[in-house]
Amino acid sequence: MTSDSELLVPLHVAYIKSLGENKDDLVYHMTAHLRLNAIYWGLTALCIMNQKEALDREEMIGFVMSCWDDEAGGFGAHPDHDAHILATLSAIQILVIQDALDRIDIPRVVKFILSLQQPSGVFAGDSFGEVDTRFSYCAVNALSLLGKLSELDVEKTVAYIRSCKNFDGGFGACIGAESHAGQVFVCVAALAILDRLDEVDHETLAWWLAERQLPNGGLNGRPEKLEDVCYSFWVLSALSILQKLSWIDSDKLSSFILSAQDPDSGGIADRPGDMVDVFHTLFGVAALSLLGYPGLVDLDPVYCMPASVIEAKGLRKSWQALERRSK
Amino acid sequence: MSASSDSIELYADDPEWADIEPVRQYENPNPLAPIFYTEEYRDATDYFRGVVKKGDMSPRVLDLTEKIIRLNPAHYSAWQYRYKVLLALKSPLDLELRLMDELAVKFLKTYQVWHHRRLLISHPQLSSSKSSSFYLTAELRFIAKCLVVDSKNYHTWSYRQWLLSNFFSGGERGKEEEEVWKKEMEWIEQMIEEDVRNNSVWHHRFFVVFQSGIRVGDEDREVVRRREIDFAKDKISLAPSNPSAWNYLRGVLDNNNLPYSDLSIFVRPYAQARSPDAEADEVIDLENPSPSKGAQLPCVPAIEFLADVYESGKSRDDIEKAAQLWKSLANEYDTIRKKYWEYRIKEALEVLPA
Repeated sequence: MTSDSELLVPLHVAYIKSLGENKDDLVYHMTAHLRLNAIYWGLTALCIMNQKEALDREEMIGFVMSCWDDEAGGFGAHPDHDAHILATLSAIQILVIQDALDRIDIPRVVKFILSLQQPSGVFAGDSFGEVDTRFSYCAVNALSLLGKLSELDVEKTVAYIRSCKNFDGGFGACIGAESHAGQVFVCVAALAILDRLDEVDHETLAWWLAERQLPNGGLNGRPEKLEDVCYSFWVLSALSILQKLSWIDSDKLSSFILSAQDPDSGGIADRPGDMVDVFHTLFGVAALSLLGYPGLVDLDPVYCMPASVIEAKGLRKSWQALERRSK
Repeated sequence: MSASSDSIELYADDPEWADIEPVRQYENPNPLAPIFYTEEYRDATDYFRGVVKKGDMSPRVLDLTEKIIRLNPAHYSAWQYRYKVLLALKSPLDLELRLMDELAVKFLKTYQVWHHRRLLISHPQLSSSKSSSFYLTAELRFIAKCLVVDSKNYHTWSYRQWLLSNFFSGGERGKEEEEVWKKEMEWIEQMIEEDVRNNSVWHHRFFVVFQSGIRVGDEDREVVRRREIDFAKDKISLAPSNPSAWNYLRGVLDNNNLPYSDLSIFVRPYAQARSPDAEADEVIDLENPSPSKGAQLPCVPAIEFLADVYESGKSRDDIEKAAQLWKSLANEYDTIRKKYWEYRIKEALEVLPA
């Protein structure tokens, strides 16, 4: 079999393991602001490939805890970085997957997250004040994983997401902004966690999502834009939540994702021939899991974590992936 | 190594920074990194951490954070600290905006560039000054310039929408607001003229016309609806398979609760193959422009639209006609979405009495 038709699991595992090894690397320094996110992406990809043990648990938990920003009460992306909601969600997701949530001061984290909610209902990423429906999703996801959703002003949170709904059924990053598949995912997943999918115009939105598939099988994020592997996850997860995943041509999309693999050193790129990174590696593997690719572990599209972890916490929502194929 | 070290200036060698203790990110057994760029970046971020630790808010920190931002515009802590220092020093924020003009074009895709501008323009020093109108309209012009470079940049567009709704929608600026919105529509026409398939401009038009208040001269909504439908039809005739124009048309109809059947005369020629002798004896109907010469027909969005018109008819005959069209999409014109079209057929036929 060629790389075009098969997921190169051992290579991807080796690629993810290699990421933390070369700390002299320029890329390592330039991406310090995404370090904790990158560990979450790598760990989740490994879990989906059934290789959770490939990264050392204790070392990982130690690193997560070293990113704690004691002044703010949240996690930064790297030791000595300021707390940010993106890093805080990643830290919580990693600790939940590693069953180590007892290491953190939950009431303080909850306080930090809630402090980021703005009067309009949207969340800021940090004290700097950037707002985005992405951060609303981070807050909802994190609070849900911590079992503290009851402390959230749900009405206010939903009201802001509602105000970002566009005429095409999609959602944007803030009021007035264009529909974008990534923003559609965060809004739909947040509404799913809050049991408020009644806010979504199901048929119009699911059609808009299906329209994202291009003749080469890949998915784009907006009309008339290029395809990119990461949209495979964002479009598919939203469609799974709306129970319309079957509207996608699964064979063509699978081939597109597989063709973006690096057959020599592992990892998946945004599209064939480009440089791989751990972000696209996770979203490629995650999309294949939703499409029922053989041998992969089930992924929960709402939380973007292993389905078994979410089920064990009693948090599963009524999404639907394609049935796992035996070969 | 020595050649490259000579060519860059390190804070570690600068006596002006001797009072700052650099804070390393890691214990590194091999300090001689192979790329001097790395060394420069490391040096700057080591000193940045030292500055933050000390709480230094002196003017030199502006140089330091600018250097880090130029090397890595995604370094959000550098942006955040820079803003704090600007305020602490009561720096002229209009000068900062001008510096940002250069950085924004350089790092268009970085969110921080745009967020920093939001903070600057919202600060009372600019937004409540006598020259606020000057700063704000300069922003609109600057955004337009950036969109020439990258016409679909998400951050740039949402910054424009934010500016318009925050500063030009309250009525406080009277005549000037009218002028801004009028120009906005002219600019949109021009942008669509340049690329009729740019979905971001279509979205922006919807935002301007339907979602950000009612303009002077636009009070008669019936006239506005008609104008927008005609606009969409006209652009569809230029590029019949353009999803953005069709989505816009649907948006206008849905938003105003208008039936799709109003447009069946217009849509029909787009949903069928071109007949060879049709063009010669074509009657020009200004209200229903026909597909441009050479356009690929039939086009998928038109077939879909026409099927929706039939489906809304609800009679058995109508539904069967719709199903026929969906079948042609599933099997011929839009096979990648076969499952979707089959779903539509099944759903529509299910509600029919046996």
